[in-house]
Amino acid sequence: MESAMWSEKYRPVTLAEMRNQVNVVNRLKRFAETQAMPHCLFAGPPGSGKTTAALCLAHDLFGERFMDAFMELNASDARGIDVIRTTVKEFARIATISEVPFKILVLDEADNMTADAQHALRRTMERYTDTCRFVLSCNYSGKIIEPIQSRCAIFRFVPLAEEEVAAYLKTIAEKEHVHLTEPGLRALTNASEGDLRKAINTLQGAASLGKSIDEKVVYEVVGKAKPGDVQDLLEIAMKGDFLKAREKLRSLLLQQGLSGKDILKQIHSEILRMPIPEKSKIELIDAAGEIDYRLIQGADEEVQLSSLLARLALVSSQKRSS
Amino acid sequence: MNAPWTVKHRPKTLADIAGNKPTIQQILDWLDLWKKGPPKKRALLLHGPPGTGKTVSVEAVANERGLDLVEINASDKRNRDALERTVGLATQQTDLFGRSRLILIDEVDGINLSEDRGAVDTIVRLVEETQVPVILTANDPWDPKIGPIRNATTMLEYRRLGLRDTLPYLKRICEKEGVEVDEQALRLIVDRNQGDMRSIMNDLQVLTSGRKRLSYDQTTWLGFRDRRATIFDALKTVFTSPTCLQARRATDMADMDLDMFFEWVYENTPRQLSDARDLCQAMNALAQADLYRARIDRTRAWELLPYALEMETAGVAMSKEFTKPAWVPMKFPERIQLLSRTRKMRSMQAELGKSIAARCHISSRRAISQYLPYIKYVLNTNPTEGARLVRWLGLSEEAMEYLGVKPTPPEVPAPAKEVEPKRAKPRTAAKPKRKKKTA
Repeated sequence: MESAMWSEKYRPVTLAEMRNQVNVVNRLKRFAETQAMPHCLFAGPPGSGKTTAALCLAHDLFGERFMDAFMELNASDARGIDVIRTTVKEFARIATISEVPFKILVLDEADNMTADAQHALRRTMERYTDTCRFVLSCNYSGKIIEPIQSRCAIFRFVPLAEEEVAAYLKTIAEKEHVHLTEPGLRALTNASEGDLRKAINTLQGAASLGKSIDEKVVYEVVGKAKPGDVQDLLEIAMKGDFLKAREKLRSLLLQQGLSGKDILKQIHSEILRMPIPEKSKIELIDAAGEIDYRLIQGADEEVQLSSLLARLALVSSQKRSS
Repeated sequence: MNAPWTVKHRPKTLADIAGNKPTIQQILDWLDLWKKGPPKKRALLLHGPPGTGKTVSVEAVANERGLDLVEINASDKRNRDALERTVGLATQQTDLFGRSRLILIDEVDGINLSEDRGAVDTIVRLVEETQVPVILTANDPWDPKIGPIRNATTMLEYRRLGLRDTLPYLKRICEKEGVEVDEQALRLIVDRNQGDMRSIMNDLQVLTSGRKRLSYDQTTWLGFRDRRATIFDALKTVFTSPTCLQARRATDMADMDLDMFFEWVYENTPRQLSDARDLCQAMNALAQADLYRARIDRTRAWELLPYALEMETAGVAMSKEFTKPAWVPMKFPERIQLLSRTRKMRSMQAELGKSIAARCHISSRRAISQYLPYIKYVLNTNPTEGARLVRWLGLSEEAMEYLGVKPTPPEVPAPAKEVEPKRAKPRTAAKPKRKKKTA
């Protein structure tokens, strides 16, 4: 019996199959037709089709067997300057033998590359333009250094509209013979916030229950299939039980394998909605920003984040006593 | 000079031993448990400063109870083979005359990790399987390398000997040796040696040799031995010093790895500073110290170290303002234990992340936060479907086991590759990603 992550199983293979990001896709189709393209920078939120577009473009250019002329590197996993100097160069400098005169190298999550690595990349891009085209994808183009931006055609990917997400989900549900109710569909599109990957993963999780998917089922999946319960962590800290909060933080980091950065991001997204004085929120945001920078500098994730928890505990205790 | 007094006057019976009587009673009580078969913890870890009577009391216990004592100490080679030969044999048998055995592994904190390879693991296994009582001794039970041993044993502490413990004992020895020693002189010797009976005896023998009488004046030239304060003294300094200068001395007191010292302070700060205001300030100081450490790591700028040390000592000390005084015991840094306990788990997580990343065109970091939870959810609600998914990911057998999936179940005989959906091309996933891994 077949099984796969549906987000892979139903990933479009050709540009023609891509139903959203119409403007972007139309221009990419031109590249495939003319077999000519510049370096590209795909900017947009997660799950909006950047990686898919790059894969489809490669498929349309090189055909089914495009592995020889195509390489995908994930910058968050391999973000150092060494990778640029070795792996990337190695791939880029050897010319391809296919009729298309260049290879494609996709650098996913390029905004996670260090500035040094980006500068090294810039030189590589320049030197091997004849043999290799780079497709960089990122969430924020602002995090890419200007010299690289100026060498790339920039494509902006917008978050998928609810109807677009809904259309994809309906197709998949049909093919997988899953009964998806109207409220269930609405809950899915709602919870995914335009991130198709998340929407499909949630759908697959909900389908595993083997019953009709309604609102309730969707919210159960969304509630349970969370990378880690940061909400819980914050509640414990706000109750003033710092030791327990630190223990929880420790288990998120060590046992659930979350990165400090992911946890900080989730905490940050909650700050504005916390039941604490408005002025304290500003204080916390400032502290979170400082910690984010410290983590980049290589500071200890647990020590830094627990200082934020201590501050949160203090702020909430002052609120309680006043 | 005759035999060293430390040998000549080495106690043979429990009554001869100075100090730590309650602890010795605990050893006896524990041995009594063995009459009904092995108790839950089959080994004791006696810990305390040198010269407090750890080894001697084990010897005396064996002597009084008529036990055959098998002893291994730091001067023996203690790698896995050597240990298994000696201790392994001893744990399973009684001696030729049918006497019960007692095994003593002395100075376990003296294990040299590179030379005594596998020693810690072997000891832990022996302790878990032994059929006869095992007693271990250590000066520094908090040494991270013997963490696993600490968890497998019952710990008993030997305290430094005080004047009350030592004076009557020393007087008896002086009498036997036929020398007259002023009480003031004895007090000074005991004091200077901080209750270390072995060094007291050595000093006493040196000072009295060739004399019939030893006065206070004649002892004052005696040099100090350098004693290291324990980590607990250093922590007490951090959490009680009224001035920065005093708090700062803590790092000089503790003769230990500075990173380890930081872990101790970090672990205990929230326990010692219960007021939220104090705690927030102290945690900030620690975060700041950590930042300096990170900068040192990155740039090798060791000249930044004093700032880190001052923040983690004085910075914490000065945060204590509103916390009500209370005695709270210090705890061993739990994070260190958890780090070693979860090492396998974390490497598993990393592998899962990589496998998912290779299949789903995403970074392994995001794979863990955005895919793994769903996969686990499916595994939970629909194990059959979940198992298929896991197989599709092409995980290693170990990783499958970690997720609770049997590697090759009977109902799906086809290998993972053939289960691949038709539409998902044999694209990118396999080949280019593999390039990256080897890079």
